[in-house]
Amino acid sequence: MAEDKKPRALATQAAGKIPKFVRGSLSATLKAKEEGKKVAYAYIADGQDEIMRAMDIVPAWGESFAGVCAAKRDAEKFLQKAEADNFSRSLCTYATCTIGFDMMREELNGEPVPGAPWGGMARPDMILGSGQLLCDPRFKWPQATQHYIPDVPVFVGNMYYPPFDPKLDHKDQEKFYVKYAADELRELVKFCEKVTGKKMDWDRLAALTELSDKTWDLFIDTYELRKAIPTPMDTGDAMNTMVPFTFNLATQEAYDFYKDLYDELQQKIADKKGVVEDEKYRILWGAGLPSWFALGDFQYFNNKGAVFPVEVTYRGGEKIERLDLPKTNDPLEHIAWRWVRYWTHWYDKARKRPGSIPKVERIIEYIEDYKCDGVVFHSAFSCRSWHAGIIHQANTLKKVYGDIPVLIMEGDIVDISSYNEADTHNRIDAFIETLDAAKKRKG
Amino acid sequence: MTHYFAGLDIGSTMTKVVIISDKLEASLIGPTGPEHRKLANKVMEEALDLAGLRFIDLTYIVATGYGRINVPFADRQITEITCHARGIHSLLPTVKTIVDIGGQDSKGIKIKDGKVTNFVMNDKCAAGTGRFLEVIADSLGVPLERLGELSLTARKAAEISSTCTVFAEHEVNNQLANGESVANLIAGIHQSVATRVYSLVRKLKIEPDVAITGGGAKNIGLVKALETRFGYPVLVPPEPLITGALGAALIGKEVYEKYTTEGQTPIRCGRGLEEATFFS
Ligand code: SF4
Repeated sequence: MAEDKKPRALATQAAGKIPKFVRGSLSATLKAKEEGKKVAYAYIADGQDEIMRAMDIVPAWGESFAGVCAAKRDAEKFLQKAEADNFSRSLCTYATCTIGFDMMREELNGEPVPGAPWGGMARPDMILGSGQLLCDPRFKWPQATQHYIPDVPVFVGNMYYPPFDPKLDHKDQEKFYVKYAADELRELVKFCEKVTGKKMDWDRLAALTELSDKTWDLFIDTYELRKAIPTPMDTGDAMNTMVPFTFNLATQEAYDFYKDLYDELQQKIADKKGVVEDEKYRILWGAGLPSWFALGDFQYFNNKGAVFPVEVTYRGGEKIERLDLPKTNDPLEHIAWRWVRYWTHWYDKARKRPGSIPKVERIIEYIEDYKCDGVVFHSAFSCRSWHAGIIHQANTLKKVYGDIPVLIMEGDIVDISSYNEADTHNRIDAFIETLDAAKKRKG
Repeated sequence: MTHYFAGLDIGSTMTKVVIISDKLEASLIGPTGPEHRKLANKVMEEALDLAGLRFIDLTYIVATGYGRINVPFADRQITEITCHARGIHSLLPTVKTIVDIGGQDSKGIKIKDGKVTNFVMNDKCAAGTGRFLEVIADSLGVPLERLGELSLTARKAAEISSTCTVFAEHEVNNQLANGESVANLIAGIHQSVATRVYSLVRKLKIEPDVAITGGGAKNIGLVKALETRFGYPVLVPPEPLITGALGAALIGKEVYEKYTTEGQTPIRCGRGLEEATFFS
């Protein structure tokens, strides 16, 4: 239908500023050489942001670059390039897209790849990987990249946190994990000092860590405004507004962005301006990275009166006071505590509900806080770390919480060949009808 | 005055029409052509002839299936998931899980009191759908409608390890060349489809009674293979192809009755059947 074909409209003005952020990050890598700065291949959600920023290392985010390629529907050439070197399509397509790009750039002796979206990323001076419980490409991606840029030094730190065991109190073990993570970060600092030839400015690191904490708080305060009915912002926008938090943490620009977004959302709430005129269904985006080439699907939901006031994806923070972090003067130890406490934040709740798991507790908390009628998961096949557990999460949710409508969409983050718009819309239509029936049943 | 309601289900390979009043007036199944809109017009005309009705006698029309948005004269479009649930509930009220095996996709639907509570769909791969059987039937030179009965004569189902349609076809040809019987191969293929469908539907908590709908339900060999997989008998409605169209007609009737009870008239699309030619 004609109304479904409209291009994605953003609900907030703030989201409109995001392309500048993304472009800025990419071009910063291209300008770094002139400015005498070092570039590092970096990976999101790994606790390394403040260290890079404090040492003036310019992060080149593969995930962001691959996302841009996908959104512009221009990733295929990079995926095919990697495939030609035997990287399977079922591997993380953020990784394979970026590796394909690296291969092309190396064939041009490190010069920019013509036609790469927004100029692409500069050849890095180092690779700062972070193996962690999140996913296996965090180890293998830097290793595979090094095949093509063998002269570039690699550091892969390990940021762990206690695994969940309903019979054990993880707090008994967390000090060990915090020490381990802080030691890893210390090693990272030494590595960066060696590559940059500069010493860490510890006061600057402390100040940036404080700025990050403030940004974590403001980010959550801002997002919690979306509890309002009608919600002033949708996950379709959040897939944009996550950028400063995810890729620009420990910068004043990121903090200022959320200040503006906070003010804008408050104003919208005061004006009772929702994402859609007649908000009928509130849905939680329960897990999974989106198909960057199909963000218009959020609009498709919106056109049916469905909004997403909350999402688990890219909400990689909590209010600092809720994490109850022990006081320390060592910024690395502080980052380590924040890391461990964030990833274990829903453990206590999960232990209290037999059969539950932390990820499901988080979903339940959001369903209740944001008054959601249903949950959508996106199973992006090449992101195994999310993909593998989605059905288990959906089943556990139904078992421990109740029969809430759930839709599992299937696709990929970058590989458009996984996507069929008509089928996706058909599933969404059926899900909306299911939500409607469930709401009527509830009365 | 009698009110008549039509449900039109435009699937990937078949178009189905059901017309009801307080009883079933007519049902019709025809192939889906590349231009759904034109064909919808034609099939609807035939169904009206069968029922001895004119288009203006229809009070409300609901379209469903993949081609639903292409029906210009439908008053409402509803997905086949909801319509199958409603249709099956009216025929077999004890059913809690529906397995629909269509020409190009298969689905699992959980229902409670005729309403959908959960669903899964396989629409990305031909394995586990009617298309898979069609390809193999073609390759073996056996008419599609004979696959089921032939499979029942198998002495031992052949093992087909490939789930991909293209590889399975290759495997069948190899086994045929090695002397495996056609009946054993067909039984093996049915088991393969049943396994694919089962692994899809298992994502829902399967609860009996289970009903099979769609073209796959007309294949006795596949139904038996599914029963073996589920571990208990399944139910098959008398005409498994029309449950979606029937559900659509029933929903149309409910919509109309709800509106009139509230003293309102449902909004109609206002298009005549003849206007369908406008799109040709
Ligand atoms: S597998 Fe998933 S979590 Fe891991 S790097 Fe790729 S997209 Fe990110």
